[in-house]
Amino acid sequence: MGRKLLLEHAKVPGIRHIDTYIQHGGYRSVHKALKTMTPDEVVEEVKKSGLRGRGGAGFPTGMKWSFLAKPEGIPRYLVCNADESEPGTFKDRYLMEYLPHLLIEGMITSSYALGANTSYIYIRGEYRWVYTILVEAIAEAYAKGYLGKNILGSGFNFDLYVQPGGGAYICGEETALLESLEGKRGNPRMKPPFPAIKGLWQSPTVVNNVETIAAVVPIVNEGGDEYAKIGIGKSTGTKLISACGNIKNSGVYEIDLGLPVDEFLNSDEYCGGVANGKRLKAVIPGGSSVPIVPAGLFYKNIKGEDRLMSYESLSDGGFASGTMMGSGGFIVYDEDQCIVRNTWNLARFYNHESCGQCSPCREGTGWLVKVLDKIEHGKGATMADIDLLWDIQRRIEGNTICPLGDAAAWPVAAAIRHFRDEFEWHIKNPQLAQSKNYGLVKETVYQTV
Amino acid sequence: MKSTLVDNKINMNGSSLNGQKTEVKIAYIDNVAYEIKDGETILSFVKRNFGKDLVPTLCDAPNLDPFGSCRVCSVDVALQENGPAKAQASCHTPVMAGSYIYPSSDRIQKLRKNIVELVLTDHPLDCLTCEVNNNCELQEVAAKVGIRDVRYPEGKNHLDRKKDLSHPYMTSDMSKCINCFRCVRACDEVQGQFVLSMAGRGFDSHIVKGSEVSFKESDCVSCGACAQACPTSAISDVFESKSIAKAETTRTICTYCGVGCNLEVATVNGKVKSIQAPIDAEVNKGHTCLKGRFAFSFYNHPERLKTPLIRKNGELVPASWDEAYEYIAKELTRIKTDFGPDYIAGISSARCTNEENYLMQKFIRVVIGTNNIDSCARVCHSPTALGMQRAFGTGAATNSIIDLKYTDCIMVIGANPTDGHPVTGAKLKQFAMKGTSIVIDPRRTEMAKYATYHLQLKPGTNVAMMNMLLYYIISEGLADKGFIEERTEGYEDFKNQILANDIDELSRITGVDKELARKAAMAYASAKNAMSFHGLGVTEHSQGTYTVMLIADLAMITGNIGRRGVGVNPLRGQNNVQGAADMGCQPHQGAGYYDLTNPDYQKMYDDFYQTDMPKHIGYKIPQMYDASLNNKLKALWLMGEDNVQTDPNTNHVKAALGNLDLLVVQEIFMTETAKMAHVVLPAASFLEKSGTFTNGERRIQRVNKVVEPIEGTKPDGQIVVEIMNKMGYPQAPYAPDTMLEEISKIVPFFAGVKWDELGENGKQWPVLPDGSDTEILHIDSFKRGKGKFHNADWKESQELVTNGKEFPYIITTNRELEHYNCGTMTRRTKNAEILTEDVLLINPIDAAKHLINEGDMVCVESARGKIDVKARITDEVLPGILSSTFHFPEIRMNDITSSVTDSDALCPEYKVVAVNIRKSKGKYKLEKV
Ligand SMILES: Cc1cc2nc3c(=O)[nH]c(=O)nc-3n(C[C@H](O)[C@H](O)[C@H](O)COP(=O)(O)O)c2cc1C
Ligand code: SF4
Ligand code: SF4
Ligand code: SF4
Ligand code: FES
Repeated sequence: MGRKLLLEHAKVPGIRHIDTYIQHGGYRSVHKALKTMTPDEVVEEVKKSGLRGRGGAGFPTGMKWSFLAKPEGIPRYLVCNADESEPGTFKDRYLMEYLPHLLIEGMITSSYALGANTSYIYIRGEYRWVYTILVEAIAEAYAKGYLGKNILGSGFNFDLYVQPGGGAYICGEETALLESLEGKRGNPRMKPPFPAIKGLWQSPTVVNNVETIAAVVPIVNEGGDEYAKIGIGKSTGTKLISACGNIKNSGVYEIDLGLPVDEFLNSDEYCGGVANGKRLKAVIPGGSSVPIVPAGLFYKNIKGEDRLMSYESLSDGGFASGTMMGSGGFIVYDEDQCIVRNTWNLARFYNHESCGQCSPCREGTGWLVKVLDKIEHGKGATMADIDLLWDIQRRIEGNTICPLGDAAAWPVAAAIRHFRDEFEWHIKNPQLAQSKNYGLVKETVYQTV
Repeated sequence: MKSTLVDNKINMNGSSLNGQKTEVKIAYIDNVAYEIKDGETILSFVKRNFGKDLVPTLCDAPNLDPFGSCRVCSVDVALQENGPAKAQASCHTPVMAGSYIYPSSDRIQKLRKNIVELVLTDHPLDCLTCEVNNNCELQEVAAKVGIRDVRYPEGKNHLDRKKDLSHPYMTSDMSKCINCFRCVRACDEVQGQFVLSMAGRGFDSHIVKGSEVSFKESDCVSCGACAQACPTSAISDVFESKSIAKAETTRTICTYCGVGCNLEVATVNGKVKSIQAPIDAEVNKGHTCLKGRFAFSFYNHPERLKTPLIRKNGELVPASWDEAYEYIAKELTRIKTDFGPDYIAGISSARCTNEENYLMQKFIRVVIGTNNIDSCARVCHSPTALGMQRAFGTGAATNSIIDLKYTDCIMVIGANPTDGHPVTGAKLKQFAMKGTSIVIDPRRTEMAKYATYHLQLKPGTNVAMMNMLLYYIISEGLADKGFIEERTEGYEDFKNQILANDIDELSRITGVDKELARKAAMAYASAKNAMSFHGLGVTEHSQGTYTVMLIADLAMITGNIGRRGVGVNPLRGQNNVQGAADMGCQPHQGAGYYDLTNPDYQKMYDDFYQTDMPKHIGYKIPQMYDASLNNKLKALWLMGEDNVQTDPNTNHVKAALGNLDLLVVQEIFMTETAKMAHVVLPAASFLEKSGTFTNGERRIQRVNKVVEPIEGTKPDGQIVVEIMNKMGYPQAPYAPDTMLEEISKIVPFFAGVKWDELGENGKQWPVLPDGSDTEILHIDSFKRGKGKFHNADWKESQELVTNGKEFPYIITTNRELEHYNCGTMTRRTKNAEILTEDVLLINPIDAAKHLINEGDMVCVESARGKIDVKARITDEVLPGILSSTFHFPEIRMNDITSSVTDSDALCPEYKVVAVNIRKSKGKYKLEKV
């Protein structure tokens, strides 16, 4: 059984309240950092820990922090990205709902490290009740003197605000988030300049995911080196995974990075295997934006090695045969699921959520939907439409202001790459395609456990 | 090695001695090396080396910040020669030293084609019937990337969106929109109005005005920037200014305000079709306000005067030009012989060209033989000229508008630039939204709303206000000792007098909080570079000249003179106020500002004009009226000015004009003044003649004839020349080039001005004999040697001393964006549909006191008369203060203004009038012009 660095006390009754939280060792990192460490020493620990951003891109957090510009007389900000809207991802919600003080503690320690005296948690608008939990927890932290002026007599002043989001997936993209936080329409900004130079209100800003910030707490408490001992290679520490789809036990799990995927999917401690004795068809291991992998490429990479739940192993083989760790939204498809329908659904999501700035994304996602709709619903699609789909997603990928374009393109690309025959079957059997929503059985890529 | 480091003289600390490291950086285009400039984008790098056509763009626009949304400008970028490349949007990506750029690789060409194809799936393909056919950037780009057909099946689209034709000028047809955001950015970045935005996401994205309203209902100020920025016809204007159907274009200068915007006027068959703003114009870079861009249709309005008129038996009746000239010459000769030349006077016009102003003063001085020449600058910026001459030696803006890029703080005093000088106003507003700004104004103007500090003083207390600021600058130790020592004189006395002020008393007089004044003073004084701007709220006061001198003191005491981003910058009211004064249209100085009472200069003028020139100072405009009422003036010649409407105290002006033997008026419309004339001469408008205007930053720009004068009219210059000839003086026919040649010989700062060399962006005077011009004045020394400090004590306006008890309110007059002065021109355009009447701004407390509701008619009464005007209740004015415009003559605003003038320059005090108010009984009816 893996360690629980984050969720250990999640189910302790009353852990949402600061007294209980402190009784279980809460806020130790604040004492330690503010009283015994310089900000740079905290940054150093985070660097040593090897922590990588848990928001999706997996960028090394220590490195991101050290990029933060520090011009004289200009404030700096830490912004916590709690907009979690990626289909299949719900780990941040879980963390904030059960352990609001863990995030607040992480915000204080991290802001101290970055020299930010004001920070924000930008939380998904639909998470109304979580917002309330956070607001109450922040009030408690103020009352206990963990927030406000001269915290613990250290001379560090720090204010923390929670801002409910505008109800758009795109506001989770860090620069769109900053625009939204500034009270504007959440359109992603061009980069450069990067937020580390010109972020919130044109001031240097670090944007980090909820889980990333929470992980700073054990890193400061135990030391970066200790943290780095967990995991494998450049995937250190533990990771929250939200698992859903056709599995026995849906939920949020904290795993040691490096856990074999087989164990994660099939052991009873975690997902408990594919539900109802069905066979596994495919997995999207990191939230809807990452490529789908067929079962045959899921358990083992093409070199025949076991795949592990780690950044490196999941992306082994590139897009041709691999996928990505992403945000940890683990979605499982059994043999009855229709890939075309699923792809169409995802395309609709990205089309709906495209902010509309970039021509390739705005128009391209629209056409992905239109063409997929034709194929899925037997509206006279031809084989050329598969090539057209391929062409459209190629035009979007890499040719947009923000990565939403990529996120829209990759699922389509992966579906065609691995399940082209299923698309062809839909085109050849329009009536069947319309009446039934499952795909053809494709033994080669199926694997029963 | 890809980059070489040429490092001069590195000292011990590792930094170079002269602070200059010159690193030559290079990048490759198609494997050939080129040098890169600092901060350059890939697009500008490629454009600089290969011209603007190699890389197509859609969302990029020359006057907007890069946006990076269309991705049509993508190029391949690799880290090694022919290495793996990544497509990058060139318009916003900085070029990286050592990178390999492939602007037209096969992959990129395919990508561009596919993107444009996607865009076209939601764009109508009916180009042939589109307004912008052949002048459409989408069409151009589509052709360039080689689109032949669109591979996508019919799908949901937006081709059925409704057109918006609600507005008198602006139009939109969003079925043509390609979501490039250029209009949104133009409205934000160029105008600063924030009317347009993108609503909806993804496929539902669409441009909206305000909260999904029509152009008419929105806050749009009709600047047209969005229409000009739009690459298609999705946003356009009623003149279809982007259509190029059979049009020829002529570049000229706007006739309205002193900003001096360049215009590109399109004509079809000798008629003006539409106006656009040239992107390469230094003054306005593709921007104008609605007056410049749209308010031109007055020029062929049916009411244009088309024949000379002579008063016979009390009526103005049509006459031939010969008859009119005969009549005028006879009368002028008679009056000159019977009474002497000083019984004749001329008023020139800041609306006319330099050449025409020069001719007018030459006519009055040389042919008539008197210095009774003045111009409408008298009623606006005469105190600026006088005050700045006294302090610096030159009465003109010390810096240029482009300096806004280099300044750290702006101070706007008594000016409402977003209405009065819209294009400069937009730049000031953009600055105020980001930087430190101080606004000194009795009204909460649009600028004041964005200002860091708004000092909302009581009208008529500018001098006290300036003294407060100076007091704090000195007492806080922020005076720039070095500058004062080296460049100025009279400081010790000045300082002692300033410190002798009772600061509490000043605060009481102005009504401005001490702490606020102190903070503002410190912001101005501690900024690295600070610029001040002032307008008629400074000059149109009894202490106007003194205020200007104190503004000059502020600049000198803080060392804000003689470099980029600083200075004293009067916002000139009319298009050519600067020029009218430069040309000598004032009674105490001839062309080039030489003092007429100085024997050396008298001799110089005598020699130049080869005649015995008049030697004593003539009448200023208010003195002319008094002289007429005292039978000391018999004839007055007016060139293009409606003094009855625009000069204060209308009844007084009318009486004076009514007492003349001869009143000649050159005009384009039958104005209130023209109605009183003995002879009316129909003149040509700015679109119908050539010459030069000098804008508020001393920029002499070419006005080019766009269309032939309307039949029956003549350019003002030609009229003056013809009457000079008629009276026996051999003046050559009116032509800008020969006139400028003559002017350059007598006006020293025009020495190097040649018509053929002015180019499209003109030259800023002084223009040296070698033709080089000057952006910044007083760099090493002042015109007068050392800058001179002057003190002035605040004095209550005579108007308030005499009438303040009986008339406890103060009304101050101002302008609105849509109209120009008394509206002679703008009210003959559709601007009148946008702003239909003058209103009275009144504070809610005062309104409540008099039971006045929004829209009620209010009777405003002064010692001179009373008027009725509609109330608009607003906290833009403080209690006790009222404000109104004078664009609609029916209101007769100037019936109530006073004859009080500036003590030194005799500029009328429009800004302080003691009045009383009550709810009006009668209902005032609006007459149509
Ligand atoms: C369309 C889009 C949506 C995103 N949504 C989220 C989100 O909900 N939560 C999140 O943490 N990161 C999200 N990201 C990633 C962020 O842009 C950013 O990389 C992340 O917050 C950085 O934090 P980290 O370094 O701690 O991972 C999103 C990115 C894109 C392109
Ligand atoms: S890629 Fe899509 S979502 Fe991202 S900025 Fe462009 S249009 Fe908006
Ligand atoms: S005309 Fe000017 S103010 Fe009006 S919407 Fe366009 S840019 Fe904005
Ligand atoms: S209206 Fe014109 S400028 Fe505005 S987004 Fe559409 S096409 Fe671009
Ligand atoms: S021109 Fe560069 S993205 Fe549009």
